[in-house]
Amino acid sequence: MGLGTVVAQTIVNGLMVGMIYVLMAIGFTLVFGIMRIVNFAHGEFYMIGAFVFAIVFDSLGVPVAVSILAAVIVVGLSGVVVERAIFRPFTGDELNGMIASLGLALILQNGALLVLGPSPRSVPAIVDGTVSMAGLVFSLSRMTVIGVGAVAILALYLLVVHTQFGRAMRAVAQDPEIALVQGIRPERVYPIAFALGVALAALAGALMAPVLSVSPFIGLTPTLKAFIVVVIGGLGSIPGAVLGGLLLGLIESAAGTFLSAVVADIAQFVIVIAVVLLRPWGLLGKKEREA
Amino acid sequence: MRRSALLLALAAAVIALIPVVAPNLFYVHLAIVTCLNVMFVLGLAVIARVGQLSMGHAGFGLLGGYVSALLAMNLGLPVPLGLLAATLAAAATAALLGWIILRLRGVYFVLVAFSFGQIVVLLALGMEDITQGANGLVNVPAPAVFGYLLNTKTAFYPLAVAAAALVGTGVWLLFRSPFGDAMAAIAENPRLTESSGVDTHVYQVVAFSIGSGIAGFAGALSTHYFQFISPDSFTFWDSVSYLTMLVVGGRVGVWGPILGAVVLTPLPELLRSTQGLQHVLYGAVLILVLLFLRDGLVGLPARLRGLRRTSAPHPILEHSPERPS
Repeated sequence: MGLGTVVAQTIVNGLMVGMIYVLMAIGFTLVFGIMRIVNFAHGEFYMIGAFVFAIVFDSLGVPVAVSILAAVIVVGLSGVVVERAIFRPFTGDELNGMIASLGLALILQNGALLVLGPSPRSVPAIVDGTVSMAGLVFSLSRMTVIGVGAVAILALYLLVVHTQFGRAMRAVAQDPEIALVQGIRPERVYPIAFALGVALAALAGALMAPVLSVSPFIGLTPTLKAFIVVVIGGLGSIPGAVLGGLLLGLIESAAGTFLSAVVADIAQFVIVIAVVLLRPWGLLGKKEREA
Repeated sequence: MRRSALLLALAAAVIALIPVVAPNLFYVHLAIVTCLNVMFVLGLAVIARVGQLSMGHAGFGLLGGYVSALLAMNLGLPVPLGLLAATLAAAATAALLGWIILRLRGVYFVLVAFSFGQIVVLLALGMEDITQGANGLVNVPAPAVFGYLLNTKTAFYPLAVAAAALVGTGVWLLFRSPFGDAMAAIAENPRLTESSGVDTHVYQVVAFSIGSGIAGFAGALSTHYFQFISPDSFTFWDSVSYLTMLVVGGRVGVWGPILGAVVLTPLPELLRSTQGLQHVLYGAVLILVLLFLRDGLVGLPARLRGLRRTSAPHPILEHSPERPS
């Protein structure tokens, strides 16, 4: 393999992993921005999405697109229930909402362990084959992850910026009381925003299921990456999550290929600290008054 | 006052009798692990005292464990000095990290402290030359006191109790001191406290250092007890357990954390038969306590008597207005 191929594959891998981080981080930052909840259970919804996809696609033999949709819908609906049952009492209470999310993470992860068992299951690739561009060969399945992720992000962007519901969400994120005065009911916005956030995590889980294996324990690492991405990109900023996620994926992929996994891990943390020191509101976040 | 003295004497008697009446060594083991958890949870309580929660708490335990184990194995350093080094290493790391992240809003502290805990695990896995990677370090020396090797459960138990009592007394004195009052004031209202001349940043950094130093100490002691440490020894889920113990026991004062560790450490052992179920129950208990018993188990008697004075609920810690005992 020539250097060109290695570089190209590093970039494709970085973009694929980065796209997953972007989906995770957008969902996380959406929930935090609107509900002020640091959702430590975010990765558990990724795990559930991966499991639903694995069962529907692999065990039941349903077509790929329908299986992905099933994962997104199942997790989205469970998000509505979870918001109402667990997070609603902690509206406006950042600290206790966060602790409740830790309890939820324990329940979801170990519930999955009880029902599905600890052994990892592998899922067949959703597409086979390769595409060649400019003399370089790319795996089609990785390109699909990048493509589907990009479409989802674009759809979300249009929803947030150009629809009435998107405006309502942004209004609640800025100030729930003033939004209420304007006739927006925050308690209608919360469940949908939460469902949207965890549905994005489920999409990420479904897309990654064929690439990595699926087990009850896979949720924690994507949660960590989502945290790192939102600190780098700026908490509450969707463009920041996109930039931060892709950047993190590329850095991780490059450092992992050309240096070592340890260097990649240290590099991420150093970047987080550097951002916090030099630009605490994140690369694309808005400067805000310290609380 | 007399009642609390009586309770303390009773507790001391129970603690002293455990190795004598325990039907087998497993109960002594449980008692040791309870002492270790008491220390971890007290460390977390010191940080919670300034209104912060560290989800990287176990990471400092892991750091302390590796520091002490490596010093003992590679340099032959006596265990007490290793424990001191582990405490200082964890406290110094926390001071540096805290100085950087505690200037920002609370949520950044949560995110970065959690990331730190994960990075420590990844480094312990990755730096195989030093840490032996996933295999961990085996045959970590047991501590020796006055030439007496504490390499059995019964011999280690008094040391664990003494260490937990030392940490408990230290934290109790800290909370009663003017410094402790200032810490509680910061949790209550950081801006008001700042405007009355308290450098809230310094207090928060010091509290984070002390709490994490305690975690480093407990992690090191635990490593010398098990004579083993691996990246799995202290993970994020241990941080979640410490937090659960803190919240279930009660967040204010020293008795809440101690009670939480004492109640919740042995409890999972009774449910051991079903893998996973114990943690599901842990999660459910955590959420139920948050919803219905904000002050934790230590607040239960007052709640039952219905004598709780009505006071404006505190946004972060739910402080009762009186000084905690």
